[in-house]
Amino acid sequence: MSHTVLVVEDDLDIRQALLEIIEEHGLSAAGVGDGAAALAFLARAEELPCLILLDLMMPVMDGATFREAQCRDPRLASIPVVVLSAYRDVDHHARGLGAVSVLKKPPSVRELVSVLRAHC
Amino acid sequence: MSSSPPQTEVISFPDAPDAARSRSMEERFRALVSSVKDYAIFMLDPSGRIETWNAGAERTKGYTAEEIIGQHISLFYTPEDLARGLPLALLAEARREGRVESEGWRVRKDGTRFWADVVITALVDDGGRLMGFAKVTRDLTERVQAHQEQLRLAHAEEAVRLRDEFLSIAAHELRTPLSAVQLQLQSLLERPEGLDPRARAKVERACRSGERLVTLVDTLLDVSRLTTGTFSLAPTRFDLTVAVQEVVERFREHALRAGSVVSVRSEGPLEGRWDRLRIEQVVTNLLTNSLKYAAGTPVDLVLKGSEREATLLVSDGGPGIPESDWERVFLRFERATPMRNFGGLGLGLYVARQIVEAHGGQIQLTRRGETGAHFVIQLPRSADAGSAR
Repeated sequence: MSHTVLVVEDDLDIRQALLEIIEEHGLSAAGVGDGAAALAFLARAEELPCLILLDLMMPVMDGATFREAQCRDPRLASIPVVVLSAYRDVDHHARGLGAVSVLKKPPSVRELVSVLRAHC
Repeated sequence: MSSSPPQTEVISFPDAPDAARSRSMEERFRALVSSVKDYAIFMLDPSGRIETWNAGAERTKGYTAEEIIGQHISLFYTPEDLARGLPLALLAEARREGRVESEGWRVRKDGTRFWADVVITALVDDGGRLMGFAKVTRDLTERVQAHQEQLRLAHAEEAVRLRDEFLSIAAHELRTPLSAVQLQLQSLLERPEGLDPRARAKVERACRSGERLVTLVDTLLDVSRLTTGTFSLAPTRFDLTVAVQEVVERFREHALRAGSVVSVRSEGPLEGRWDRLRIEQVVTNLLTNSLKYAAGTPVDLVLKGSEREATLLVSDGGPGIPESDWERVFLRFERATPMRNFGGLGLGLYVARQIVEAHGGQIQLTRRGETGAHFVIQLPRSADAGSAR
């Protein structure tokens, strides 16, 4: 796997901020705005990302649906996913989705960096 | 036990004339009708005047037989029904169709209303001549009220559900742009080339304001959930000492600004099954209070444990809370000091108490020395044994 983090987040400002922070910490980052775009990105990626930061509530295809599709695809299933959500009681849901970790919005840069260090 | 055969009431008709038997049956039927208490059963003359009255009628409508016999049934109807001529219309329909059923509000002697289920049957002789009416009335007020109460409850529950859903979405929507703001600001602070001291101070202030906004949003959502019972715990096993130390660590800068030294003393690890985020919230709320109302004084957190429970004492050296306010400060929107001195929603201690009690524990104020506020939190080692919803 590469040292690229895929950020799946529909809010452009949050996505941009995450991409910058990830890059400032020495990793490469790619951003898409919904689950369907994430699947399309992964389908044509030569190297799979080391981690997916996944928002749950998104238009077109939400995070849970993306995660189901990801788990069904043997090529993608092993990419760790960190759920990123503005819902505070999201832990249970995230566990159900098999996420390795949960970042609640707004995440602190410190939390984000420790998640990146653990998986990339 | 008596060996005598069971006593049986035998009604005999020695000369068994049909007329006598019929008269006896009629008397017994009359006695039966007059003793029925759950139904008002009475007869009307062809014009609607009351001719007979039973126990049920007295119980339902409040009139004795002496008071009511000879009166017109209009007496039982509401002014609205009288205005539209309902009593006579019902009698006319009973005459025409043989019987009529209706439900509606009727009036008792004392003026109160009851919901009545009424059947009026026309009584005609062999020649088809109207002899009068039989009227049976049942008081369904309790049933109607129970149904209305059920409807009211269902509406209230739906309203609460909608409010909760709205608040949850509102909190989500508020937190989303706040996330962008916080990430950008934190990212600025972390830039390797650094910021000049003045710019850094400004960004740090903006960051703190953002954090306060997030906390306010969360608190409002919590209060909604606490009051509607949709607040739930997710207990996991963890060391309370470590959790408290982590919260205190997060408060380092805040304490510095408040001029307070926060210390944690513990006899060692204090393992238990609690909802970690919620317990951290309790510690956060108490620390926030101490640093707000007792700024400049030391804040001490002391942890102790027994086999069954863990105890956390949070003490400050501030002005303390008068004993007369010890219960009040845990209520919603309450505070020990007037609002003009300190801002805030007045929800921190309320939320703390709800969380502690949901864990089956208790939080209270206590006296230690002359000054300061001293909170004692006792938590059973497992929240599963508590009253968590």
